[in-house]
Amino acid sequence: MITLKDKILSGVMKPTRYTGGELNAVIKDPSAVDIRFGFCFPDVYEIAMSHLGMKIIYHTLNEREDTYCERVFAPWDDMEKEMRAHDMPLFALESGDAVTHFDILGFTLQYELSYSNIVNMLDLARIPLLAEERGEEYPLVYGGGPCAYNAEPISDMFDFFMLGEGEDQVHEVMDVIKEWKRNGKRSKRELLEKLCGIGGIYVPSFYDVEYNDDGTVKSVTPNNPNAPKTVKKRIMRDFDKTYAPDSIIVPFGEVVHDRVMLEVMRGCMRGCRFCQAGYIYRPLRERSPKTLMGLAENLLSCSGYDEISLSSLSTSDFSGLPELTNELLKITEEKKIGLSLPSLRIDNFSLELMEKVQKVRKSGITFAPEAGTQRLRDVINKNITEENILTSTRMLFKGGWTNVKLYFMIGLPTETEEDVKGIAALAGSVLNEYFEIPKEERAKNINITVSTSSFVPKPFTAFQWFPMNSREQLIEKQRLIKENIPSRRIRYTYHDNKTSYLEGVFARGDRRLCKAIIRAVELGCKFDGWGEFFKFDTWMQAFEETGIDPDFYAARERSYDEVLPWDHIDAGITKQFLMNENEKAKQACTTPHCREKCSNCGAARFGAGVCTEKRGGANG
Amino acid sequence: MADYILKYGRDERVKFISHLDFVRCFHRAVRRSGLNFVFSQGFNPHPVMTIALPLPVGMTSECDYMKVGFVTELSEQEIRDELNRSMPPGFTVYDVHRLRAKEIDLTKIDSAEYITETECAAPADTHIIMDMKEVVVPKKTKSGVKDSDIRPHIFSIEELGFENGIQKLKMRVSCGSAYNLKPETVIAALEKYCPGFKPVFTAAHKKRVFVDGSEIDMRA
Repeated sequence: MITLKDKILSGVMKPTRYTGGELNAVIKDPSAVDIRFGFCFPDVYEIAMSHLGMKIIYHTLNEREDTYCERVFAPWDDMEKEMRAHDMPLFALESGDAVTHFDILGFTLQYELSYSNIVNMLDLARIPLLAEERGEEYPLVYGGGPCAYNAEPISDMFDFFMLGEGEDQVHEVMDVIKEWKRNGKRSKRELLEKLCGIGGIYVPSFYDVEYNDDGTVKSVTPNNPNAPKTVKKRIMRDFDKTYAPDSIIVPFGEVVHDRVMLEVMRGCMRGCRFCQAGYIYRPLRERSPKTLMGLAENLLSCSGYDEISLSSLSTSDFSGLPELTNELLKITEEKKIGLSLPSLRIDNFSLELMEKVQKVRKSGITFAPEAGTQRLRDVINKNITEENILTSTRMLFKGGWTNVKLYFMIGLPTETEEDVKGIAALAGSVLNEYFEIPKEERAKNINITVSTSSFVPKPFTAFQWFPMNSREQLIEKQRLIKENIPSRRIRYTYHDNKTSYLEGVFARGDRRLCKAIIRAVELGCKFDGWGEFFKFDTWMQAFEETGIDPDFYAARERSYDEVLPWDHIDAGITKQFLMNENEKAKQACTTPHCREKCSNCGAARFGAGVCTEKRGGANG
Repeated sequence: MADYILKYGRDERVKFISHLDFVRCFHRAVRRSGLNFVFSQGFNPHPVMTIALPLPVGMTSECDYMKVGFVTELSEQEIRDELNRSMPPGFTVYDVHRLRAKEIDLTKIDSAEYITETECAAPADTHIIMDMKEVVVPKKTKSGVKDSDIRPHIFSIEELGFENGIQKLKMRVSCGSAYNLKPETVIAALEKYCPGFKPVFTAAHKKRVFVDGSEIDMRA
């Protein structure tokens, strides 16, 4: 039998993006469940399928008999054209059914540049874009993930957001929705009021935003008695016992992270001042090597993957690392499985560990000094020294590695010309380390890559008040680095600053941006994270047509007494702590990490993880 | 070490998987199965497998073959059952044959029988091209698109019916490394030479393959 889908799929690239049916995908009878749930990732299959959070929510929801959670991704441009030409609405991968009348769609908000795809997906699904235009016959639309901490720019399109970690929360929400559906899906308002009773649920329509004459936010006030004044994020206190799927969908085509991912810990103890993840996932919590070994064995045997990687914000800080890698290597060597350890810090990684992991192939290694001078590294609280960097790279060169990538940011607060030149100089010092090793002791063909991206100030960081560098400033800094690279053996690559600028606008944006996003999509914007689709000029046109000055959001210095659009959200750390960190940054004064000394960020009130560990410091 | 021939196929659910993706998919099935496959040496050890013919994207099949090796001899039944348990839904291993000498040589496969379904307003009269001495159509080769006479490579075409705007054909044509004729190319030739035949879309299913005129005998 020839179906419409057959015809369409025969003409598009990578058709297995749209077929579903992968190993370990969950197939249920839709008529036998209470809730049909679409987990939406607003990007293409290969990106979506690499995302750990989706795997967790997908499997935990599907363990409920009453819920069928399916995957819904953004079709690539060629597929979208076919779908629109054949009047095919956005569908879920498992059943192939249109999502137009699912009970709930949950979007994961991983990066600001995916906002246009959310609009496009709702449009493809034939669902009204604005929450207030959607009646009970349409799915509830919610968002979660890091961008939910300031989702104001897209809040008009969402019924609610889930703040923080969703492993428990999502089940509480499903229970309420199931009850609501059983009672005939009467008033959506009543449902949302009920959901407000669940910790971490933020219903944007229950808050009124007022603005000052200068355009800044005057106040954010609840307009519904059920809505809390501030919404506090949820965390999983006992991370070792937190749900982790023991099954994993194995894609047919290659995806970005095509391997078993083992989440060894959540949160980070370092406190780098630019890093939103480092703040919003506090406190640091670990899984035990024993739990992790059990998960690893299950995931490897059910998937047949030949690679496993340890996932966390800073894997070398994981206290169980030596024990876990020793145990893992026993399986990986026997079964010819590759083990990869991303996110290693340059000051505490062990060459012995690297040697064990990369027995044969000495592939490249990436370090992130982030800034070119000690002063600026102190400003951002990176807490690594030039000596750390040179010692580590010398060890690597002696161990036979020749591909080293150094990652930096430009546009950081207080950055001077000297700091920028320092990036090139540091790369030169690394190269010198290589040449100082006698020829017979080092491998040939040294290859150093310096890569810079443009710093984007994010909410809930110490730099949330800081004006982002202008594009002209960033281009000048890139030029300065290029000119100062001391050797042709060092390659310099840099990130396009137009996308960074847009990211900067949305990251600290407010509700007034929503109309610009919708307008940009009308004008053809989508897949903004993809160079071949990104239309900077169209975005600028959309801002102009909707009366938005993007510099107001990205390039303006904010004062401490300004009401920030996200002040009614409680990410677990106090604003006072972020102010203290910002002040210390201006003095180039560092803050010790959580295991050394508690800096009273506020996360201790969760009573979990590193906050409850014994430590040497005065506040320990 | 023991060599085996696997006869396998795939249905509608997994027909859009590319050849390379199938290879990776099979590697993973091998790891899941726990069978003691022979692995290659080198940086990325993988199970050694030789696939007779790559299956085009979009085609279903019940007659694909590959050669694999095991470290020790296993029962044919066990291999079949373990692989069927480990492959994603939509793939089936029908038969396993322990290769003792060269009784089956997959490199010699030279023709295949396909069932095609073509969406069209009016069916093609296939006798038109069967009665021609030469059927020249553009054909993709390694060095680009070239005109080629495909007539010597069409052994038979049988019309299985025309219903609801779908014409069903059974055709036997050359396949393999010497000359590979895709069923779609035959449909394109029919479009060129049969008046009134306007194919909209064709789906193909590979039914049988032959070595020198006879089907591969898995009981050899």
